[in-house]
Amino acid sequence: MDLAPERFASRRDTLAFVICMMLSVILRVAPAGFQLYTAEVIRETVLFPFLKLQDQTVLLRTARAVAGLVDARRDSVAVDALALLQLQEENRRLRELLDLSERLPGGHVSADVLQQSAPSGITLLVSAGRDQGVQPMDPVVAPGGLLGAVQSAGRTTSVVLIWTHPDFRASAMTEDGSVLGIVAPWGSEGPDVQLMELRGVPFRQEVPQGVEVYTSGMGMRLGGVYPRGIPLGTVSAIGQEQEGWSRTYVLSAAVHPASVSHVIILTGAAQDVGAAFRPDSP
Amino acid sequence: MRGARGQWRMGLVLLILVVLQFALRPLPGDPRIVRVAPDFLLLALLVYAIRARPGEGAIAGFLVGLVTDALSPDAFGAGALAHTVIGYFAAWGKAVFFADNLLVNAVFFFLGTWVRDVLVLLVGRHVEGSALLWQIGYLSPLKALTTAIAGILVLLVFRRWLDIRLSR
Repeated sequence: MDLAPERFASRRDTLAFVICMMLSVILRVAPAGFQLYTAEVIRETVLFPFLKLQDQTVLLRTARAVAGLVDARRDSVAVDALALLQLQEENRRLRELLDLSERLPGGHVSADVLQQSAPSGITLLVSAGRDQGVQPMDPVVAPGGLLGAVQSAGRTTSVVLIWTHPDFRASAMTEDGSVLGIVAPWGSEGPDVQLMELRGVPFRQEVPQGVEVYTSGMGMRLGGVYPRGIPLGTVSAIGQEQEGWSRTYVLSAAVHPASVSHVIILTGAAQDVGAAFRPDSP
Repeated sequence: MRGARGQWRMGLVLLILVVLQFALRPLPGDPRIVRVAPDFLLLALLVYAIRARPGEGAIAGFLVGLVTDALSPDAFGAGALAHTVIGYFAAWGKAVFFADNLLVNAVFFFLGTWVRDVLVLLVGRHVEGSALLWQIGYLSPLKALTTAIAGILVLLVFRRWLDIRLSR
């Protein structure tokens, strides 16, 4: 820093300072009415354009806030609309489940899907257990068809092993019962499996695409799990041939586990539940 | 001061600061932020005073003080007195210490703002007790800090117009 003594205050500077100080003190001790009047005059003259500018700034800020509010409300409406679609879908599923429940013979229990195992996606936790009469190995169905079987039943909840599990097997047949085979998940990729396969179909028996495949109910008297007539899937392609004596068909599954939110657990000893899944058939 | 061109530029910088006071300062809306936002009017006074004679600084301070008193007339005259003191001593102080250093300028802006607030509060006597301490010890230093930062930015942006050679 440099010293600049030549610029010290002169007598005129000191006089200006003293006069300004005196004026300030006078204004400070002046009557309140005079103070307010002086302030108003300054605001209405010198400060008028600047206060207008400030007013515009406040308006701009308010407009921005209002715009933000409008955006927030629009987003809320969009979210509500999405929720409405979800509710409609939920309603449709519940109606289907209710219809199926009314048509099913024998004992059964409705349950909500509480959780799907992650990341494997091969079991479900449902909201019914021993208190509702659920037992291990009870079949679990959705309005579309077979979902799996109860693996273990707790007091109020149960774990359901769904058909994507690599060990899932079900004795199957076509609708007219002319073709029999075993249905299993297609491939061994686990949770990513969305297709089934119908194995062990004799080579001479051809199953065209679009044919629906159901549980056959064979072995129910010998401790089998699934009663007859539960939809498993629809033939979508020929998979592979094994040594010239049998064919494997690829099925599009009747029930996709990820889309299921409510299930029915079959607790009774019905032998054939096909009519419940085919209400329009004679 | 410098020639006519320099005076025009100086006037323009001061006008920009005054406009910022009314256009930018109220923008956040939240009173807690506005209370510690940079005081561009005082900054304009300090920028002017460090290039003016002490008498001119005192007069400029008195006028700026009148404006601030008109905006908040609860202690009318206190602002005029405080700004007169700041304007005079800012010009006088720069006559003693000719600083082209950024840090010295920052301290100058900080002290100018804080001392002005203390003077207004003490002369106005409209704030008392713990509120006065809170104002002097917390809010005023915060406002002084933001004003100092704004002042440094102004010096950096307008250093050619203000004809200063800043060293860091």
